[in-house]
Amino acid sequence: MPVVDVDPDELRYLTGHEEKDDDQLKSDLFDLGLEFEGWTESEEFQLEFAPDRLDRLSVEGVARSLRYHYGDDRGVYVPNTNSAEWTIEVEDQPEERPYVTGAVVRGLDMGEDALESLIQLQEKLHATMGRKRAKGAIGVHDLMMLKGEAAVDGTGKSITYTGVDPEGETFVPLDSDAEMTPAEVIADHDTGKKYGDLVADFDRVPAIYDSIGLFSFPPVINGQRTEVSEGSRDLFIEMTGTDQWTIDHMCNIVCYALAARGGQVERVEVEYADDAPGEHAGRTLERPDLSVRSKTVTLDRIQSIIGVDLDPEQVVDYAERAGLDAEQVETEDGEVAFEVEIPPYRVDVLHPLDLVDDIGRALGFNTLEPTYPDVSTVGGRHERSRLEDAARDALVGLGFEDLLNFHMTNEAENFERMGLSVPETADDAADVVGAADPVTIQEPYSEDYTILRTWALPSLMMVLENNTHRRYPQDLAEIGLAAELDDSENTGTAEHRTVAGVLARTDASYEDAKARLQALAEAFDTDLETPPTSHPSFIDGRAAEVVLDGESVGVVGEIHPRVLVEHDLELPVAAFEFRLAALS
Amino acid sequence: MKRPQAQVAVLEAADAQEERGIDEVADEAGLKPEAATRAAFELEADGLLTVAEETIEHYDLTEEGETYVRESLPEQDLYEAAVDAGADEDAVSMGQVIGTSGLEGAAVDIALSNYARKGYGRIDSGEITADPDADTGDDPEMLALEAVADGRVEDADDDALSQLERRGLVEVSEETVRSVVLTDDGVTQLMAGIEVAETVDQVTPELLTSGEWEAVEFTEYNVAADAEPASHGKEHILRQTANRVKDTLVGMGFQEMQGPHVDAQFWINDCLFMPQDHPARTHWDQFALERPDEIKELPEDLVERVRSAHLEGVGPDGEGYHSPWAEDVARGLDLRGHTTSLSMRYLSGHEIGELEPPERFFSVEKVYRNDTLDPTHLLEFFQIEGWVMAEDLSVRDLMGTFTEFYEQFGITDLEFKPHYNPYTEPSFELFGTHPETGEIVEVGNSGIFRDEVLEPLGVDCDVMAWGLSLERLLMLMYGFEDIRDVHGTLCDLDLLRSEEVMH
Repeated sequence: MPVVDVDPDELRYLTGHEEKDDDQLKSDLFDLGLEFEGWTESEEFQLEFAPDRLDRLSVEGVARSLRYHYGDDRGVYVPNTNSAEWTIEVEDQPEERPYVTGAVVRGLDMGEDALESLIQLQEKLHATMGRKRAKGAIGVHDLMMLKGEAAVDGTGKSITYTGVDPEGETFVPLDSDAEMTPAEVIADHDTGKKYGDLVADFDRVPAIYDSIGLFSFPPVINGQRTEVSEGSRDLFIEMTGTDQWTIDHMCNIVCYALAARGGQVERVEVEYADDAPGEHAGRTLERPDLSVRSKTVTLDRIQSIIGVDLDPEQVVDYAERAGLDAEQVETEDGEVAFEVEIPPYRVDVLHPLDLVDDIGRALGFNTLEPTYPDVSTVGGRHERSRLEDAARDALVGLGFEDLLNFHMTNEAENFERMGLSVPETADDAADVVGAADPVTIQEPYSEDYTILRTWALPSLMMVLENNTHRRYPQDLAEIGLAAELDDSENTGTAEHRTVAGVLARTDASYEDAKARLQALAEAFDTDLETPPTSHPSFIDGRAAEVVLDGESVGVVGEIHPRVLVEHDLELPVAAFEFRLAALS
Repeated sequence: MKRPQAQVAVLEAADAQEERGIDEVADEAGLKPEAATRAAFELEADGLLTVAEETIEHYDLTEEGETYVRESLPEQDLYEAAVDAGADEDAVSMGQVIGTSGLEGAAVDIALSNYARKGYGRIDSGEITADPDADTGDDPEMLALEAVADGRVEDADDDALSQLERRGLVEVSEETVRSVVLTDDGVTQLMAGIEVAETVDQVTPELLTSGEWEAVEFTEYNVAADAEPASHGKEHILRQTANRVKDTLVGMGFQEMQGPHVDAQFWINDCLFMPQDHPARTHWDQFALERPDEIKELPEDLVERVRSAHLEGVGPDGEGYHSPWAEDVARGLDLRGHTTSLSMRYLSGHEIGELEPPERFFSVEKVYRNDTLDPTHLLEFFQIEGWVMAEDLSVRDLMGTFTEFYEQFGITDLEFKPHYNPYTEPSFELFGTHPETGEIVEVGNSGIFRDEVLEPLGVDCDVMAWGLSLERLLMLMYGFEDIRDVHGTLCDLDLLRSEEVMH
């Protein structure tokens, strides 16, 4: 979940509620879903929240939400924007990163707090909506340091988003004194090493020029020339990415934050060349796009989801308190509905249902009385889980301690320590219980958990190994999942429930295991035969196939001393394992 | 006729004419008095012996009494000292008399209080007189004390005896003395001859069928001692918890779901409207599989509808995500990170056929997360998953259902904190009051499935769902601190054995 650091003094200043003490603020924030996690080193609140309201990734956004919460603001607010003076020309840009957007914000009195907040917002947006800069990356520049070319149409100034040979051009990146090519940045610069992978496969890397030359290498790093400082008054914001909607909305969130700091937003034109890659070739977009979207939701749907009757006026009131505007309309079917306007910083509203949630939160979900749904259904257990329970009861009745082990294990435990060899291919797998080709995990958490177990006896042997200091006898059993590769299955995996048991006691013998198997077979009215077999985990001459109703479904015998010693056991173990389905 | 050895011995030691004390009988029979007494009562119950009881009083000197017998009573000492000081003629200062009497401490008070009572003289205003006619040598209490000491209690004066008891110089105890005499039946049986029955350790089939059990005596055990520990079968504590959850849900009308642990991302994530590039899809860090790596078949029409929901949204005002969507990614196989994949399979109609509202389904099954293994997190754990499908469900219905469920486990005062999930709207984190500690703890996550989830599945009514880790419920209920002691191969058998059975 996203975390944002917020200075409580800034919150008081930006909300205009100097009277709120820290505890009141924390409690108000909690009501909004922002949880206080602790203090940062610089005495700021560390707030955690669910990743829907990304417009709250800065103190300005949090303050805006609080003002709605307090009732200081109502309805949709859109800052005024001045007409465009600057243009971003887009031509020959890398087709892997075809989109760009931007804005100019003037008249800022940045100061330390505002600059810090802007940097944090940039980082947090990169991490979330920007998908670690892959989907969208933000560059903020000091406008004073940019020298625009005369725009193609002759009015105003322009910069150009294009592509460049990674070794074809140099600039001085941030945190460096030397002229470097993009290729050198990727190879040698700390930030370059971190984000270089994003453009590693590009023939031509993204580049932004003004009339002086290359000043930004998105999404990796900006140039030093246009670096923003506390003294910066006018900013140029550009964002590049793989999706226009995403960068446009990241841009909106940044513009709202800067407007809250007193900045005047000025539009820029984004002119895609006729042959530019991407969806916008030949088009000119005016950005930021602070237009208000609207969605229609019926009163009936609002009432059925929240579960209370509401007057249309109440709905409008709750919507405005949530920072939305709602107008009562009538649908084609004559139903009462609302056209709800959504401010341009909201990136979480994908469907009218999201507006119902906003209305519910403004109303206060916790004030609702619970009701028990008045519909009746018939409950019941799944057949397989009933069988599993019946078999487990029978095992417990036979004196087994029921166990529950992990399904994930590793090849050493599942095969080698049991005396089996690790199968290389499905055909290679020996024709004995447990020796199947296992399901393997792509990026294992640790080398202890790399495969799904193909049988459960190794799990029981591990429990015996870890409990040699505990009282004997240790008669343990488990019914659980075992899986193996099976090309005839849709998922390529045969999953089955397996029944495994071990009897660890000073006088454990084949007969003890067989006796319990007999009792199980009898309880489930199945016919048990145990023809001799050979299995590497068991002593030769003391191992048998478990044949239930004519089908070979498992193995029973005395565990081989080699396997016992491997598991640090100093007494005999008789064991069995077979498929649960054979008892049905 | 056979009788236990003790009974035979008592019969033989008893007499038909003369009552014989039980101690004497025991001595002759070679038994402890208790054993002889028990045998006598058993014989009396069978009419072979009469047991008579008599209560006898015993007088014993206390330590103080013994001292006085050896020496003299304190009041006697005082009298002698008083006479020596001439108190038989004129009153004498008490201090002087006591000084010469040799009495000290408590003995002074004892002497003074008995002196006047016995008429040895008078004590008045710090002066003492002695009656010259008093005969302290013939003191009845001293005589009685001496009689008790000599075992001649019958010679003692009754009043003096009770005075001695009151003064704490003698102790009276009662003893029940039993004596036995043979009845006619007893004599008859003795004449007929009685064999000694053997003592027996074990009840055997032979003993029972032959009727010998009537004549045998069983050796006595130390019934208070600890027995050897018995090993016993026991259902795993987590299974017990799972079954209790299942019972509760079945009772609330829920049917159980089952399904694959290895499943396509399509069922695990895409049907749940998780965008393919959403941090949550990596945030959950599900285990992707190397082998097998792809599902063979997905329902084509459903894939199309899910793709469209992701890219275009659903409904006239739906937007969808501004994220790429590829079927390749959807086909990838994972260990399921939640059992909501089962809900998707069931709701789609591909598992058990089309469903018609109302329906309630649940599962308590394993899920896998690529998390850090620590005392409260496992790589695989059980998820309780449940959903209700009906026309027009509201968040109040959701609240009512879950309030009901958690109350079964002692978790009350449920709070619903608005939350965000990609697949539900509205969504709520559930918090409840811990039954033991009273803390507010998170107990689950819930919500009403989005239209973007339900519409592609072909569901045109409401479905509310919730999820919770079974291990979390277990830890709340039992107060375990390290879940690894319970679940997995590092489990401690001792802990599992000693944990109280759930009921």
